[in-house]
Amino acid sequence: MSDLMDWLWLTVSILLAALWLWTLLRRHSPQDQSFESHHDYEQVEAEDVLKAAYGLEEEQGRIDADALARAAELPKTLTKHALEGLMAFNWAEEDQEGTVHLTDQGAERAQNLIRAHRLWERYLVDQEGMSLDAVHAEAHRREHSMTQEELEALDAELGHPAWDPHGHAIPGPKGRVPSSPGHPLAAEAEPGRRFRIVSVDDHPVPLLAQLVALGLEPGVNLEVVDREDDIVRVRINGEGQPSVIPLAPASAARIFVVAAPTLPLELGRLPVGTRAQVVEIRGGGKQQRRMLDMGFVPGAEVTVMRKASLGDPIEYRIKGTGVAMRRSDANYVLVEEVERG
Amino acid sequence: MDSGAITVGVAGNPNVGKSVIFNALTGSRQHVGNWPGKTVERAEGLFIHQGREIRLVDLPGTYSLAAQSPEEIVARDYILSGEPDVVLDVVDATSLERNLNLTLQILELTDRVVVALNLMDEVKRQGWKIDVEALEADLGVPVVPTVATERKGLPQVVAALVDVATGQRSTSPASVDYGLTVEGHVDSLKAHLDKAGIDQRKRWVALRLLEDDPEVVGAFRAGDLSDCCLTEDASPIHPEALRTMVRQAERLRESTRPDAKVEIVRRRYELAHDVVHRVTHRVRQDQESLTERIDRIVTHRVWSWPITLAVFLAIFWITIEGGEIAGGWLDAGSSWLIGAIRTWLTSIQAPWWVSGALVDGFLVGVTTVITVMLPPMTILFTAFALLEDLGLLPRLAFNMDRPMQALGSQGKQTLTWGMSFGCNVTGVMASRIIENEKVRLAAILTSPLIICSGGYGAGIALVIALFGDRALPVMLSLVFLSLGAASLATLILNNTLFRGEPGGFLLEMPAYRQPKWGQVAWRAMVDRVAHTMWRAVQFAGPASLLIWLLGNLPPGAPFEQTPVGWLVRTLGPLGRPFGLTGEMITALLFTWPAKEIVVPALAMTYGLQTTLVESEGPLSYFPQVWGPLSSYTFMVFFMLYLPCLVTVWAIWKETRSLKWTLMGILVPLMTASVITLLVYHGGRLLGF
Repeated sequence: MSDLMDWLWLTVSILLAALWLWTLLRRHSPQDQSFESHHDYEQVEAEDVLKAAYGLEEEQGRIDADALARAAELPKTLTKHALEGLMAFNWAEEDQEGTVHLTDQGAERAQNLIRAHRLWERYLVDQEGMSLDAVHAEAHRREHSMTQEELEALDAELGHPAWDPHGHAIPGPKGRVPSSPGHPLAAEAEPGRRFRIVSVDDHPVPLLAQLVALGLEPGVNLEVVDREDDIVRVRINGEGQPSVIPLAPASAARIFVVAAPTLPLELGRLPVGTRAQVVEIRGGGKQQRRMLDMGFVPGAEVTVMRKASLGDPIEYRIKGTGVAMRRSDANYVLVEEVERG
Repeated sequence: MDSGAITVGVAGNPNVGKSVIFNALTGSRQHVGNWPGKTVERAEGLFIHQGREIRLVDLPGTYSLAAQSPEEIVARDYILSGEPDVVLDVVDATSLERNLNLTLQILELTDRVVVALNLMDEVKRQGWKIDVEALEADLGVPVVPTVATERKGLPQVVAALVDVATGQRSTSPASVDYGLTVEGHVDSLKAHLDKAGIDQRKRWVALRLLEDDPEVVGAFRAGDLSDCCLTEDASPIHPEALRTMVRQAERLRESTRPDAKVEIVRRRYELAHDVVHRVTHRVRQDQESLTERIDRIVTHRVWSWPITLAVFLAIFWITIEGGEIAGGWLDAGSSWLIGAIRTWLTSIQAPWWVSGALVDGFLVGVTTVITVMLPPMTILFTAFALLEDLGLLPRLAFNMDRPMQALGSQGKQTLTWGMSFGCNVTGVMASRIIENEKVRLAAILTSPLIICSGGYGAGIALVIALFGDRALPVMLSLVFLSLGAASLATLILNNTLFRGEPGGFLLEMPAYRQPKWGQVAWRAMVDRVAHTMWRAVQFAGPASLLIWLLGNLPPGAPFEQTPVGWLVRTLGPLGRPFGLTGEMITALLFTWPAKEIVVPALAMTYGLQTTLVESEGPLSYFPQVWGPLSSYTFMVFFMLYLPCLVTVWAIWKETRSLKWTLMGILVPLMTASVITLLVYHGGRLLGF
């Protein structure tokens, strides 16, 4: 009788475990109704694991089951299953020593996914004005269902951007993912130094949301006010930003910075012979429109040709011909220097 | 209809040769007027091609159709109106990318466009080659290479115009892709437009709303679309719906990064850039062009000043000298004419008053004005046109802009002043080159203060008679005084009446070109000069007739009892504070038709003669009755006091406003009065 009971309990446990496993797997799937077949479902799950595996392989050169579980946020018990799933899709293989690596196929698929994800993030932030902390989930939703053509079209549409909104590099069609520049603010911060934020960690999301709310996003320039007890206090450069923001070590470690580049210059201040690229035209109104129509559009190249005897007006070469303007008007045009005169 | 009439709207950037093509095609069958309700000039012409009547309407040169300046509004509204059967877009091939900015905007308004790719000779000279077929393929409309000044390519242009207008040749104009975001916004606005019942040009209207276009947004806000965008029959739309759309467009525009306005222009330029890079190729190696080398000298930190001065002096000198020579011929001719008519009248025994009124009154005035005004005007228009062709004019404005800024004005005003030195009328007309309306008005109102060649001509005769050896320094002082008065008046006007609204100064500096002495330029100029001279005659004839009447009726009466004598007595007190006699004031009144007649006018008011006929005698009379201070005071007032009648007419033509025309009389009068007061009383104090 006890044998029967044992078998019964074992069967029940296995059934329960299977049930539990099944519910776990369900939890990771997206809410989107567009996933029709179970097969797609599984692929999406596996793809998420793949991305994590890719990250691991980049860092450590191999895929360790425990590390994978942590990175993919899977319970330990499912790790083996996860690895098997990767191998089932031919994305990973075990070598003679028993270490798991990604196959070429797997690496490529991972890159494509990451690329799609980051391109979507770029699109959602730039074109739809979504906030940084919300894009991750939405981009995640979309990245799995893109075809290669759609991916290339999106990339072209956005003008082949190099960085996603968090500051992470977007892989090219065939290339490896270049590493992000920048060092953690926590390591670099010294009072008085100015930096530009190049990337902010995606995770944890609540922290990211907080940083975004404070205005700390990639592209923002900031100045370190002081540093005490590992708390870094910074001030964001720009109009209307007087207040100082204290950052806990955990935050400062997740903000990656480089030394602040020079701010865009006013065109009127450049010496004769300088070549520059138009960044933007400040102010609105008729004069702005007139200058735009003459060719001073963002991205256009302008050369400072000559100045009149008393320094004003100044002749510029734009769109192939000469246009003269007063210095005060030229200062409404912000440019980045390409070559000094 | 097979040979029905065609109307063509001629558009393009400024200075691309639009007028050259226009004149070459229409010849003398032109009519110049104004666009209704605006001060923008409209030229219309006609020619026959293979039995078909083709009407050309010359639109003002613009860099864009953004509806910000009166010129842009006029050009755009005309194309929108549907009146032209086809639009001819004249493009400067040496500045293709910028010109395509306008072309692409035109293509958004109408399918029926022909592009004339002008200045192809310049392209070759600068070492480039353009693949016209590729350009045609990219733009989707016929592209015809032309060298307008040599009349090359024009027959092909006309053929293309006819083909497109009659529908024999279909076009598929290029359209700009404004990118995912903007296109998305356009689609959503189009949906709104659909719902509101607008069915014409939806994409264009949506783009203009997104761009915050002043005319379209204004029309939407006012709830009335009849003026701007829609053609006739569209049913009326609820104003509230329109205002909602404006708000929606505003939200969309502000949600875009960068601003939708900037993005739209940027994308357009991107397409233009792509096209240009595909179709143009450099043939010759790029060395520092001739233009740059010349410019290094012309705009040099030091040399620019003497060079600029030299150019102005050269024009001044040519006008005076040429005017004198040509004037001499005209004088001889008119003397002969007058003599012949007088003899004839005597032979048919016409009564003295017929002979007097017709010859000594009317004819003398007419011939004097023609003799005085025709030569300088012709010379000036020619010189101006040549310098403009050469490309030197923008450089002069460039050099002079900074000092003019101190007066609240801009460099181009020196050009109008330069013209005024020859003839005030041409100075006023030249003010058109100034885009900023306020600065342009100030330039118009101060032009008469500049001493013109008529005033200079008569003036120098007087000065020599009055001051003998000291004539030269006196004359120079008067010239500087005139320039100083004009500068002062400009400064005051720009800081009081015309205060605020700065800027608008954007000067295109094209490459230097060889000026073309082609007949084409002559025809238009002859037209303009003839038109002005006809007006001058219309004023001067009756004016001098009136003066004769005042001086010769009642017949036989002694001087004091003629109306002239009466005027001299009455106006005497008016002039006393200024040190001017009644005779002087009356004479100055009579000089209003043309400044040249000041000496005969003075002779009349001093009772020396009863007509405005020129003679030697009076000149020796005045030094005897005027002291040095009186002489100088008179000269000062004479130089500054009023624009001649023809100039007043020119001011009216340019401003189309009674108020400003009156101001055109008031400003010089007040300035002259103040300065004369200062001179007279200052002179008295100094013991003169």
